[in-house]
Amino acid sequence: MRDVYVAGIGITSFTRLEYPLAEIAAFPAMLAMKDSGLTGIEQVYVANMGAARVNHQTALASAVVDSLSLTPAGAASIENGPASGSAAIKEGFLAVASGMHDIVLVTGAERMREVNNLEATDFIATLTHPLAEYIYGVTLPSHAAMFTRLYMEKYGVTERHLAMVAVKNQNNAMLNEFAHLHQPITIEGILDSPEAMTNNPYVAEPLRFFDACPVSDGGAAVILVSEEVAKSIDRPLVRIAGVGQATDTHAVHERENPTDLLAVRRAAELSFGMAGLTPSDVDVAELHDAFTILEIAESEEVGFFAKGEGHIALEKGETALDGRLPINPSGGLKGKGHPVGATGVGQAHEIVHQLRGEAGARQIADARIGFTCNFGGFGNNVICLTFVREN
Amino acid sequence: MAVDLEKILRPEDHPMPPFPAKYMTLASGEQMVIRQVDRDEIPDILQYVAPLVNVERDFYDVVAARLYSEILAYSRHRYQDQYVLVAQVDGEIAAVVNGRQVTPNLGMSLHTVALRRGLRIGAHAFATKMEYHMDVLGHDEVLIVAESPIGFRRWMIEYQLEKRFGTPHELGGVPSWSLTRELFDRARDTLVVGRRPVPDELLAKAKAGILPPSDPPTPPADLLAATRSMYDSTGTALMAQRWRQEVEHA
Amino acid sequence: MAREIYAYECTECGTLHYPFKMRCRNCGELEPFKFKTVPLPKRGKLLTFTKVYNLPAAYEVATLGIAIVELANGIRVTGQLEVDDPTIGMDLLGDVGVVREEPYNRYWGFIFRAA
Repeated sequence: MRDVYVAGIGITSFTRLEYPLAEIAAFPAMLAMKDSGLTGIEQVYVANMGAARVNHQTALASAVVDSLSLTPAGAASIENGPASGSAAIKEGFLAVASGMHDIVLVTGAERMREVNNLEATDFIATLTHPLAEYIYGVTLPSHAAMFTRLYMEKYGVTERHLAMVAVKNQNNAMLNEFAHLHQPITIEGILDSPEAMTNNPYVAEPLRFFDACPVSDGGAAVILVSEEVAKSIDRPLVRIAGVGQATDTHAVHERENPTDLLAVRRAAELSFGMAGLTPSDVDVAELHDAFTILEIAESEEVGFFAKGEGHIALEKGETALDGRLPINPSGGLKGKGHPVGATGVGQAHEIVHQLRGEAGARQIADARIGFTCNFGGFGNNVICLTFVREN
Repeated sequence: MAVDLEKILRPEDHPMPPFPAKYMTLASGEQMVIRQVDRDEIPDILQYVAPLVNVERDFYDVVAARLYSEILAYSRHRYQDQYVLVAQVDGEIAAVVNGRQVTPNLGMSLHTVALRRGLRIGAHAFATKMEYHMDVLGHDEVLIVAESPIGFRRWMIEYQLEKRFGTPHELGGVPSWSLTRELFDRARDTLVVGRRPVPDELLAKAKAGILPPSDPPTPPADLLAATRSMYDSTGTALMAQRWRQEVEHA
Repeated sequence: MAREIYAYECTECGTLHYPFKMRCRNCGELEPFKFKTVPLPKRGKLLTFTKVYNLPAAYEVATLGIAIVELANGIRVTGQLEVDDPTIGMDLLGDVGVVREEPYNRYWGFIFRAA
């Protein structure tokens, strides 16, 4: 396999964007081309989850490649639930690594605020098992809530820990101009004041409003290139050193140990194994915190902390912006936003930003090795990427 | 003797006990005061409501236009038995709610507009006006409708309102929903919050003047984008425009 | 007639599956549909649960109980929960009822109550 580098990145604000979906995909792609100075794209992958269902549009990649005037480059849409973004990066990686292409554009986009909240919840819920879960009214928050309850019982995670994740990530988002939530929150306001329980009502017990990510529109893009191309342009060299993907049972109830996220564990192992690195080498990570509990659980499963000790590391501030291993400096899905199909690409965007040293106020000093975990379904399709800054 | 026409046109308000101001801590940790305003302060509010009539998103336009006309009519004595409550954070306007008394037993909720989003300010303001109807005015029932899906979710679903579809609401004659005393008492613990009395300093700050909202919902910043998009709070459209200009001038 | 929810027993190795799979997770038999249906037991223990407030568009109720239940034969299922004060490990009895209604469709599934 050839080495694969990220030559260009681009992103839209994650927020409500009332543009045609293809433009939300094309805009960050333009920024990424401008960033890298590369326009000779050979292949385009467009990550998206809801175009057909939410935006009434199919074959999105064909629309995007045309909008970017990149025809006759190859183009394909990648739908892999909330892990669509990283799945598209994996395809792009393979296209370059295999030697088939030298310059590949991966762009992710979602426009889910076109429909109201009830329909958006239903749209995401369609990724659950249609006969054994969906018919009951199961949603992603309900899966996360049932998981949280067990985690609380077993490991002593409390609502305070969850609130600490929310506050940390929403405060990180304050430093990110592209983040959805530019609204500081305090433990006092969401947990301790007499009004806190009304400010922060249950979404699915024991998860509360501020434990869940917002519903966002947004797009993000990366340009993946061969070593030769990467060294021909004047951009910092960031290499995708590890790609790991793993799956787990579709119906969550079929998992032997319901507090395990085996797909996360395996995807991380594969990613680190391929990179020849270990979790302790990581300087900065973006984990898929669609719900606050997931940041804690994933930080354990990917190997940063022992199982059941993620919340202790959080308490000690190890995952804070100035901690030993900052997690979600961008604000994560919780603060930056979660345009589902674009999220994985958005995570890669942040890591490349950090490894290049271009992250401004939220820059992690001397970050050389970055890691992303993109969590599809309720942990049934997970992709972990490891990034290394070379020069 | 000249007829005093104003006397004929001006409705006579029935006596309504005033709403006692209250305050609460928001998710951000800030303190929000909710208090009743009288006619004198309506012009201050109007100037902040007016721009919202251009925001199509979430039916801000319809709600703002209607609220504007209602509270303007109230301030000019052309609306009977209306009250207006305002929510302020550090003096800054955060929400406006209004309603009226139809009979001594029946209230009619008019509008709820949040000028700051994401902190359940609208929900707090709505709950507060229900508290006013039920606990202060002593109504048995409040008739409610929603213009936006967000409102529908908040009021009809969270409070589990009863259908009163035989009764057209004053807002556009659409079928009404009803908050009964029983439903209100059920929601009281979880949805209705606030502390009294408001500390003097906090109340004085609120009364000193209604300040403009710092981050109100706005229409799109870029007129070109406006033809395709109705809303662009973060200025992504502006970024696109700037970049276009950069390319043109390069 | 009492309604049932079925598990799928591999006719080659006897492994029970719920929900249905094309291929046995245990023996990997490649001949399709080598399963026989077995009614799931109705009794079980509560493994975990939630009360959901933000429901998909099809529901008009304010909240809905959702649970994962380990049935008497060890098979786990997801279902609706109608218990006021649930505790993990409590005994439940499942009933097969309407769990979702759409204009032209009715869906039947497990609704669990305290045993």
